[in-house]
Amino acid sequence: MIEIRFHGRGGQGAVIAAELLAQAANLDGKIPQSFAFYGAERRGAPVVSYARIDDRPIRLRTAITAPDIVVVLDPGLVEVAPVMDGLKPGGTLLVNSPLPPERFPTPKPAFVATLDATQIALSHGVGSRTMPIVNTTMLGALSRVSSVVSLSAVQHAIDEHVPARPAENGLAAIEGFHTVRVAELPGLPGGKAPSGPVAPALSSEVPEGPIASMASDVLHTSSWRTLQPVITREKCTRCNFCWKFCPDNAIDLDSEGFPVVRNEHCKGCGLCAVECPPVAIEMVVEGGA
Amino acid sequence: MTRLVLSGNYAQSYAARLARVQVISAYPITPQTTIVEQLAKFVSSGELPAQFIKVESEHSALQVCVSAAALGARTYTATSSQGLLLMHELLHWASGMRTPIVMGVVSRSVGPPWSLDADHTDTMSQRDTGWVQIYPESNQEVLDSVLEAFRLAEDLAIRLPVMVAEDAFYLSHTVEPVEVPSQAQVDAFLPPRVPKGTLVPGKATRLGSYVGPADYVRFRREQARAMERVPETLAAIEEDYGRRMGRTYGGLVQEYRTEGADAVLLTMGTASTTARAVVDELRSEGKRVGLARIRVFRPFPAKEVRDLASRVDRLGVMDRSWTFGQMGSAATEVAAAIQSSPRRPRLSSFLAGVGGRDVGTALLREMFRDLLSKEPSGLRWLDMDPPKEVPLHG
Repeated sequence: MIEIRFHGRGGQGAVIAAELLAQAANLDGKIPQSFAFYGAERRGAPVVSYARIDDRPIRLRTAITAPDIVVVLDPGLVEVAPVMDGLKPGGTLLVNSPLPPERFPTPKPAFVATLDATQIALSHGVGSRTMPIVNTTMLGALSRVSSVVSLSAVQHAIDEHVPARPAENGLAAIEGFHTVRVAELPGLPGGKAPSGPVAPALSSEVPEGPIASMASDVLHTSSWRTLQPVITREKCTRCNFCWKFCPDNAIDLDSEGFPVVRNEHCKGCGLCAVECPPVAIEMVVEGGA
Repeated sequence: MTRLVLSGNYAQSYAARLARVQVISAYPITPQTTIVEQLAKFVSSGELPAQFIKVESEHSALQVCVSAAALGARTYTATSSQGLLLMHELLHWASGMRTPIVMGVVSRSVGPPWSLDADHTDTMSQRDTGWVQIYPESNQEVLDSVLEAFRLAEDLAIRLPVMVAEDAFYLSHTVEPVEVPSQAQVDAFLPPRVPKGTLVPGKATRLGSYVGPADYVRFRREQARAMERVPETLAAIEEDYGRRMGRTYGGLVQEYRTEGADAVLLTMGTASTTARAVVDELRSEGKRVGLARIRVFRPFPAKEVRDLASRVDRLGVMDRSWTFGQMGSAATEVAAAIQSSPRRPRLSSFLAGVGGRDVGTALLREMFRDLLSKEPSGLRWLDMDPPKEVPLHG
């Protein structure tokens, strides 16, 4: 049995990626199981989905904690989500990134594969610049770097189950298959994975139990952000509209009354930019990509 | 028969379509939503010539189904958690009026604190509303159970509503291969409903209106008798289903490797699949353990449980819900059932998987280890350690 975990952001198609993989594996004559655990579903929020593929009926209905393969749909997630947790020694890490595989060292020896799936998806008109849909490109690459599924089954699954632009998605999968680069990496000294930021456990905060919700100043929901507000001070009239409309209190006012974005809380929703009367706020793609 | 890769929710929708339901009324709630979305698609595309009646709440949804079923229609609805709780009053109406409604329930925890994950508190808190309750463990069984549920509900000796309760996410949003029978196969198994004791348009009839104390209890006794006939009727339906489709699920309680077992764990729903794999592991290590899955919780399979109790010394029950002051919900009922058994095994109640805590192989092994040890009987909340840190997943 092969166990696979997908990391993506809401809207990128991580859940559909796992489901498409299940459809493709079924076409290959294998027995698939695919599932996801849901939290705060929102465009941009980190999401995780899973798949198991076997030749026999699958007898586990439980989370995957030691995956054979990890697929990361968004390069930014390597920094903010524990994508390498539990990856089996000798397993495969497949990352959507223009960087070479060597830039993603794993805790244990593993195969690391990368491809610029964002660029491939966009070149085929799949998704948009702020939210490229890379799942089909990544499945094409997955069919190259592992024997878990065949490219032809991936193509058939796309034809049958992708409602929008199946032809373009199919071409993106083929290009993903041909573009992906793999390296066999020895594993990091000490075997520790880079871990993302963590929030304190709720139940230790309140001995009687979770009687209150966790506030945003504890839970840094900025990992959801794919777009960042940039304020042009020269245009700002200090009207405080952005401060008033920010749903996450992520805007402070400095000593002169100018707004300052608190990056650890900003989810990148863009409401401030919409509401700003002098249009002094622009939403730019995170990391300037 | 076609093999499709379906979620548990779509297995519900496909089954309702194959059953040729005539009236659907439902209100969306996570994680049930895709059941009714898919049914709405079937209706709007014309694949399912049914009326999909939109309403403003679950209470109204079930009221619509009660009314439509009282007029003789084959009716289906689906809900989850808070939605099921809002239906509570109408659940009694549906059962008391003997309307053969089939409802898909995605079993989800109940708030507060707000939560969306697998748990049995929603369905267990409705266990005495007079509905038959079936708890499948796979998407295949979801589809098969919904089809069996219509035959059972509409059987003139039964005429009771049936819930088919699937674990949230572990089935509702998990996709896996499902053998979908052909329409001809289903039509042969499930002919159109034969209405009896229903309202007739244009003819003055009353259903469910006032009766005095002398008559009230007679209605209740008839309802209870109908429930008592469920095991036998369902067994016959399952046999027929097995003959036509090649699949059966072993009646009310499905046993696995209980022969010669020192300890048997009772489970419901999806934990059973993983538990079966754990039983195999432990058996290969020389430990004599077995599994019994409660497939039908209402009517409670007291006879089957007593029969099991007569063969084992130690019984454990895993529950995703509990009865305050007692033990787990199912454990409490198992205790009541074995009370009159000539041989009473030591009984342990394990609370696990509450609010969607994952039930993995290690946790199930812990239950068996506890059962085989000298631990005293009674209630144990397992897997209670708070996570040391919360990864920033969505």
